[in-house]
Amino acid sequence: MTLLDTTHQAPDVSVAPIDTGSVKLDVQNLDFFYGKGHALKSVSIPFEANAVTALIGPSGCGKSTLLRTLNRMYALYPGQKATGKIMLDGEDILRPGVNLSMLRAKIGMVFQKPTPFPMSIFDNVAFGVRLYETLSKADMADRVEESLRRAALWDEVKDKLLTSGLGLSGGQQQRLCVARCIAVKPEILLLDEPTSALDPISSAKLEETVTQLKNDYTIIIVTHNLGQAARLSKYTGFMYLGELVEFGDTAGMFTKPVTTRASDYITGRFG
Amino acid sequence: MAVSKRRIAGRRLGNVVFVAFCGVVTAVALTALALILYSLVTQGLGGFNLDLFTKSTPAAGTPGGLINAIVGSIMMSVMGMVIALTIGILAGTWLAEYAGESRFGAVVRFLNDVLLSAPSILIGLFVYEILVFPFKTFSGLAGSVALAMLAAPVITRTTEDVLKLQPIALRESGVALGSPVWHVIRNILWRGSASGILTGGLLAFARISGETAPLLFTALNNQFFSWDMTHPMASLPVVIFQDALTPYPDLNRLAWAGALLIAGTVLAVTLVARAFSKEPKR
Repeated sequence: MTLLDTTHQAPDVSVAPIDTGSVKLDVQNLDFFYGKGHALKSVSIPFEANAVTALIGPSGCGKSTLLRTLNRMYALYPGQKATGKIMLDGEDILRPGVNLSMLRAKIGMVFQKPTPFPMSIFDNVAFGVRLYETLSKADMADRVEESLRRAALWDEVKDKLLTSGLGLSGGQQQRLCVARCIAVKPEILLLDEPTSALDPISSAKLEETVTQLKNDYTIIIVTHNLGQAARLSKYTGFMYLGELVEFGDTAGMFTKPVTTRASDYITGRFG
Repeated sequence: MAVSKRRIAGRRLGNVVFVAFCGVVTAVALTALALILYSLVTQGLGGFNLDLFTKSTPAAGTPGGLINAIVGSIMMSVMGMVIALTIGILAGTWLAEYAGESRFGAVVRFLNDVLLSAPSILIGLFVYEILVFPFKTFSGLAGSVALAMLAAPVITRTTEDVLKLQPIALRESGVALGSPVWHVIRNILWRGSASGILTGGLLAFARISGETAPLLFTALNNQFFSWDMTHPMASLPVVIFQDALTPYPDLNRLAWAGALLIAGTVLAVTLVARAFSKEPKR
């Protein structure tokens, strides 16, 4: 059992550096508090531009919390607080005075459960666009079509754009949420366990969608599905109890994890 | 696993008894409702004729109708509902979206619940003190305010409840697109809760449309037709109350007709609103 032999002192934490020139979003010494609960402990992690980074780890390890700091979603809730730095294109998005609406327009987010708005499919996609741009009818129709195509949903809904988004299946709703996100032309996509509420076939379709998008967007995906992380991502971060334990390229992480904790999680010894 | 036959038989018996009990109780409630509707329809239809909708309330022994009371009721109820919907929806939204667990929010919520069950006659007296006594006249306006005070807590409560039923992720996904919170509330949450809020409005309307006590102290009554809300105004419940107490059969008949009118209106409004607020098919 040499694999599990820990006598040769595996490092406790290992964060592989990536080329600084290609970093889109750089988290530096981030601490996060839910009131008195210390949910993230000095997390530093880089996210490469136009690549997929997966965040894995057992429930409650802080993956989703980390995601929610990246678009400052936590700012909705008094009592939640982040300290440290998150550099987006060289600017710290945690400093006070950042225009949150503009920030969130740049950073789209898809949630665990599909959240179609109670309006037509067309209006769902146009909702975000209307916040920032005044498009002619034809331009808006083009934008909606383009977004739905990119989300691999167009063929299924093109004949019923004016029907309610609530009438779609769960998997279609989730792709509608992706379309809604990319319609505002963000640079970063945050996916918070986007397939955990979907059946295997719908999950596969959503993964296809992500694959199609991954060269044009900086995508950060939180997932409990290790296979999904391995299939989709270029980099993987493993988190445990609010710490980033290991970060590196996905192939290396899944074949030769450096830390014992990551190795134990990936081989299924816990988690 | 061996379960004794006696236990199974016992459970079956318990089930039968419980279901039978539920059935009997339901039947009792439905019978009472049917009897009320039956007497309302048989007695009320007798008073239905053209005069009912063209003439004002008569003195005993002369022909007349309810047009002054019908118009008065419609004007006061509509105005009351406009006030109550405005206050109720905004207050309910504040409670659900902004108050959170704050102490002030808890106090407002508690006071609203108190108002919800306040005796309507007290509300009538209160409005008498603030709107009738200072202006030295009963008025349709005062009546509307009293009705609004009865309706607003119902709407506040239902608005808060249905907004809280909307998933948190729905709010967050609106915000995540870069939408300000108020924009999310107006364009996503209200839309998603529209049928629930409408139901609250209907409940409130049903409650105020038959209220007599708060109008006695505020709008009083008016034997004559009037559009003027700054003066005393007739209303169906008050006319029913007064006519039903007289010994004259023709006035009694008018009262029954008025009662049928109220019941029919509430039913019709409910049906129409339900038809419009059908949830989209899932």
